[in-house]
Amino acid sequence: MKARLRIFHRLILRALFREPLRTALTVFAVALGVAVVLAIELAGVAAAGSFRSSLETLAGDADLEITAIGGVPEELLGTLARLPYPLEFSPRLEGVARVEPEGASVTAVGLDLIAQRALGDAQHPSPEEIADSRAVWIGADIEPRKGGVLSLSVNDRRFEFIVRGSLPGAARERVVVMDIASAQDAFARAGRLDRIEARHPPSRPLEHWRQLILDALPPGVAVEPAGARTDENRKMLAAFRWNLRVLSYISLIVCGFLIYNTISVSVVRRRPEIGIARALGATRWDILAAFLAEAACFGAAGGLAGLALGRLLAEGAVGMQAATVDSLYVSSAPAAIELSAGAVALALLTGVAVSLLSALAPAFEASRVAPVEALTSGQREFQARVRVRRDLLAGLLLAVLAAAASQAPPIGRKPVFGYVAALLLIAASAMATPAVVTVLSRAWRKGIRLILGVEAMLAARGLAASLRRTSVLVGALSTAVAMMVAVGIMVGSFRQTVVLWLDQQLRADLYLRPAAGGAGRQAVIHPGLADALEALPGVAAVERFRSYDISYGGLPALLASGPTEIVRRFGKTRFLPGQDRHAILDQLPLGDYVIVSEPFANKHRVRPDDMIALPLDGEPREFKALGVYYDYSNERGYIVMDRGVMLKYLPDAAATSLSVYFDSGADPAVVRRAVERTSADYAVSIQSNRALRAEAMRIFDRTFAITYALEAVAVFVAVMGIAGALLALIIDRRQEMGVLRFLGAATGQIRRLVLFEAALLGLAANLIGLAQGALLSLILIFVINKQSFGWTIQFHWPVALLAGGLSLIYAATLAAALYPARVAVRLNPIEAVREQ
Amino acid sequence: MKRLALLALAALGLVAADFRPALPGYEYRFPRDHFSHPEFQTEWWYYTGNLRTPQGRRFGFELTFFRHGVARPPVRSSPWQVDDLYLAHLALSDIDKKTFHHRERINRAGPGLAAASAELSRIWNGNWHVEWRGNVQSLQAVTDAFTLRLEMVPQKPPVIHGRDGVSRKGPEPGRASHYVSFTRLAASGALELDGASYELAGLAWMDHEFFTNQLSPEQAGWDWFSVQFENGAELMLARMRRNDGSVDPFSHGTFVDRSGAARHLESKDFSLVPGATWTSPSSGAVYPIEWRIGIAPLGLELSAATPLANQELTGRGGPSLTYWEGAMDYEGTLQGKPIRGEGYLEMVGYAAPFRFGEASGP
Amino acid sequence: MPLLTLDHVSKTYRTNGAAVTALRDVSLAVEAGRFVALAGRSGCGKTTLLNLAGAMDFPSSGEVLIDGVTTTGLGDAALTRLRRAHVGFIFQLFHLLPTLSVVENVELPLLLAGRSGARGAALESLRWVELEDLAGRMPHQLSGGQMQRVAIARALVHSPKLLLADEPIGNLDTATGSTVVALLRRIARERGAAVLMATHSMESAAACDAIVRLRDGRIEEIEPR
Repeated sequence: MKARLRIFHRLILRALFREPLRTALTVFAVALGVAVVLAIELAGVAAAGSFRSSLETLAGDADLEITAIGGVPEELLGTLARLPYPLEFSPRLEGVARVEPEGASVTAVGLDLIAQRALGDAQHPSPEEIADSRAVWIGADIEPRKGGVLSLSVNDRRFEFIVRGSLPGAARERVVVMDIASAQDAFARAGRLDRIEARHPPSRPLEHWRQLILDALPPGVAVEPAGARTDENRKMLAAFRWNLRVLSYISLIVCGFLIYNTISVSVVRRRPEIGIARALGATRWDILAAFLAEAACFGAAGGLAGLALGRLLAEGAVGMQAATVDSLYVSSAPAAIELSAGAVALALLTGVAVSLLSALAPAFEASRVAPVEALTSGQREFQARVRVRRDLLAGLLLAVLAAAASQAPPIGRKPVFGYVAALLLIAASAMATPAVVTVLSRAWRKGIRLILGVEAMLAARGLAASLRRTSVLVGALSTAVAMMVAVGIMVGSFRQTVVLWLDQQLRADLYLRPAAGGAGRQAVIHPGLADALEALPGVAAVERFRSYDISYGGLPALLASGPTEIVRRFGKTRFLPGQDRHAILDQLPLGDYVIVSEPFANKHRVRPDDMIALPLDGEPREFKALGVYYDYSNERGYIVMDRGVMLKYLPDAAATSLSVYFDSGADPAVVRRAVERTSADYAVSIQSNRALRAEAMRIFDRTFAITYALEAVAVFVAVMGIAGALLALIIDRRQEMGVLRFLGAATGQIRRLVLFEAALLGLAANLIGLAQGALLSLILIFVINKQSFGWTIQFHWPVALLAGGLSLIYAATLAAALYPARVAVRLNPIEAVREQ
Repeated sequence: MKRLALLALAALGLVAADFRPALPGYEYRFPRDHFSHPEFQTEWWYYTGNLRTPQGRRFGFELTFFRHGVARPPVRSSPWQVDDLYLAHLALSDIDKKTFHHRERINRAGPGLAAASAELSRIWNGNWHVEWRGNVQSLQAVTDAFTLRLEMVPQKPPVIHGRDGVSRKGPEPGRASHYVSFTRLAASGALELDGASYELAGLAWMDHEFFTNQLSPEQAGWDWFSVQFENGAELMLARMRRNDGSVDPFSHGTFVDRSGAARHLESKDFSLVPGATWTSPSSGAVYPIEWRIGIAPLGLELSAATPLANQELTGRGGPSLTYWEGAMDYEGTLQGKPIRGEGYLEMVGYAAPFRFGEASGP
Repeated sequence: MPLLTLDHVSKTYRTNGAAVTALRDVSLAVEAGRFVALAGRSGCGKTTLLNLAGAMDFPSSGEVLIDGVTTTGLGDAALTRLRRAHVGFIFQLFHLLPTLSVVENVELPLLLAGRSGARGAALESLRWVELEDLAGRMPHQLSGGQMQRVAIARALVHSPKLLLADEPIGNLDTATGSTVVALLRRIARERGAAVLMATHSMESAAACDAIVRLRDGRIEEIEPR
């Protein structure tokens, strides 16, 4: 053990301290990689954690939740309350309101404040106060204080509430609590409850009580363990989080390349020292242990630094993730980021594991150094052991495997094989890199000197000579580039697909929504407004769209209705290939028929003519799916029926949005003014076709902000690695640089030589990365995205984005070479040449 | 006469403007008058009783339904409108095991959450209810700790307390209540407790009282006794304590003989002397749990003692009050002959200095 | 005028804080066409003198003149120009660039200097050292003597007036070594260059026109032949 420590000290530690900058760069690269993984993990937990906030437990922890599509009829609460079981039931109504005039949204919760002690034991509002329809109790984040007036827009109406007090325990929440009676009033949901929460004694298992409750209720009412919705949302988010997590691992892969490079350099440089150590009696295992220990040091140091950095990055990431969650799934307030023991372990383990894995190969090589090598100087170190042809074949084999994996179905809604395919592809490209670099350098051999000068030729030769090291660097950078390219293509294609879809979909001239709407909560517009708008001159039609949040097959979904007639006349709903739009729309209003959106169909494996079971109006009912249509507005997926059919079962004429079509001859400005005047009494937001499109794209871009951020970090890690690796390359080739000075090279030529090396590295990485990225994007678009989200994305080259991104990476690579170039210029040629 | 809810509801700062006072000459019509009287502000139905298993294990119970009017006339048509508050208290005294369970709830009528409906012949608050079928009153009270089901059959017709249909509580007209009791209900049923089921039988007592203005601000608390004698007679005594510690002259009582004939007792007719006390560990209140009762006009001398000291219902503040209500043993002489009985005692206003219009409780 | 003049040159290095004087007050003049040996034990200052003579370094005091131009006070660019114009270097370890072919190695000084006709000149230079047949080989395919002759061809390719050889035969066997020395002698004779060769082999020094003996950084004696 002592001997091993001595070897470690001699071989490794001294060297590390001799080059503090390179050591620091490597540690920093590991730290960044670890930090990204950690940040995504922490932020993911915080973003998902927010689904079950302290808001949920205002009225105590519920065990079971009773829900029904369109709301639970309130009489059921009386039925339940009288059941001879030791159960407690409490009603709940929840919606989003907008604080006026600031426009911030708050969650408004209606509770039975008479029966439930939701306001805490310290407050005893009188029954009159509770019964006052203007009385609210608020979370600490909301102005004004007690006694003040709080203006809220709820649905399409404006209310002035009086703040009667603040909420205990929910200090961080943006929440307004009122009595259930007031909430029913404000949300215009008389007779309905969002859900009934039940608590049961622990004497019997939950399922026992659930069954008892179910027996007492009419069909169509669901009784689920509390948090089932939360779990559904979590499940829903799982795919999203998985993908982010996998993206974050790309940085780790890049890290792995860099560690591999660093340890390889260590080994190569210290061959003579290893030889001496071996000659003096060190075993192979001693040597292996020493280099693995070096990697472990990098990993541990990087892990520790990554811990702090990751916590910091998580702050940013949580905001971005929450924005995504908000626009894609449900409205949520991000919870606090908690650096758990698990997260700390994750960071350290990730750092050390990635480092050790990446160091295995070079460390084994070190262990195979024969004692006699101490005596020979390692001149041809890098040419050794690169078997270009064999590696290329292995790469091709991996590529074939990747192609095969991409054809496999998902496992439990997770595109596991898609990820495997992506990993195989990265590995394949790493194996093929030496061949590509060799071919490129052969191509350069001829013309490059004439075009770019002798420095370029020397740079190219230098890189080709140290093929293995070069390949690893190119591999690291090209992986980052590939990720950028792949995600860029995927997002770009997605964006283009959505743009085209919006063009088809958004046909109306004006869109009206309740001012107090929000993702995941269905705010409504009074039916009177739609009728009034329809009567306006110049208005050809008003499309009343209504949607309900439902749970289908254990996942959140949306049940919606629209007027088929108007959709047929004005809309351009596109169905999946092979489905007859006209026939479907003709049949839709005639009975219990629905159409479903593509994400819904993919999630629930629904095909045309399948039956969809929906408990409506207290009865289990079956609806026939007539068709599957393209939709990119909601990942949960829509079940859409004709408005008339829905009204039969859910007789609530209010709409969640209105689309207004103008007469073709009418003056749009005049009609718009008329619509605005008519809507003046309602708190609705009116958006033109163009504004709505712009908003949709804004939301889209916000959603993908975090993926861009992840890419940026991976590229940054790679570029940092390039800087460190070039530095090592320069130091190893200092004799050559010195000789060049003796042979008449100016310092400027030396600098150019280094910059050309970076440029060539960058070029090779960009080329390989572009090819690899394009292939990866196919996996992303047609395997991973399709399997986790269920969207059809049309492939599209986002030329400007890619050109910009690649240029940026290229510039960054060159910038990263500036410091190594400086080091090269400052080398003392006399000393460099004298060294043996 | 009962008492507690008034203090509790007064704490909520309710007003009695639009309600009808209890005045002499009220004409009772049964069974209609056993149910809700929304024109009066406050109303309660009190069931207490002493029950035994066939093996002789003794339990006491209390189930009380309160209704308190908040708003008249209705301002909204929603069932959630708070026209009345419905409170309910439930207590089980496990005398032999020396344990005491109590629960409370508060509701509005809501979509069938609570009411006292003549049409349905039902008084309920959630799954605590008393249903009248003919002259049988079925009681059900479900909690996480125990479930009590009783069938109660009156052994005597209802007794109307006071004079001329009103039970006076103060000097001004209207400071009174309409007060009806079933003083002897033969009760039998079952109790589920700790996973076991017990057959129970014994005697229960039911008070039903409705009024608008009852107590005056000088009255600080009260002690209410019910006694069911082995010889078939019953006694009710209500002593009101004034803020200065003196006994209110409107304290009163009723003696019901074996035949069911009721005799009204004035304050001057009886004496109540508190004896040994018990200090509540949770509220700190000091309750007299032994009493000497003397009713000179009847030649009745009684000593009262509880078989279980801790029968305190600890409230959580606001409308939730802290008071003592528990099973009692009575022993003494009636005109020189030994007499025994069981019953209930309620003591209110010991836990905290209580004033009208202020929140009370811990 | 001598092609190379060292005028009272001293050179002091700082290593680990201690000042080490490599050369003390050395004065020397070498005419064109002369083949001069620098002899002495290793560490006596031979390499330092060559570096100063090749404008790779400045003297701490005194002056070095190459073809009449003093190196003192010249910037990096001017020094490089001076080297490109007048100086060729030969090293003990040959220092051929392993990644370049023989001819590419030879033409490198011309390429770095940006001169045209590099390939022709390189082949010409190779012909001169009789290795034109090996122009396309890679260095690792050559023997030690061949490598050094390629290195000499490289040093000659831009026709420098001053050729500086640092232990050129130190890594060669005796026979090959004498071939290389003969070649250097031919350079001085036939091309009129001043050749300064550091060596510790008295045998090879004997082939020179003069032997400058260095000892502890001083010129011990100059032995004309």
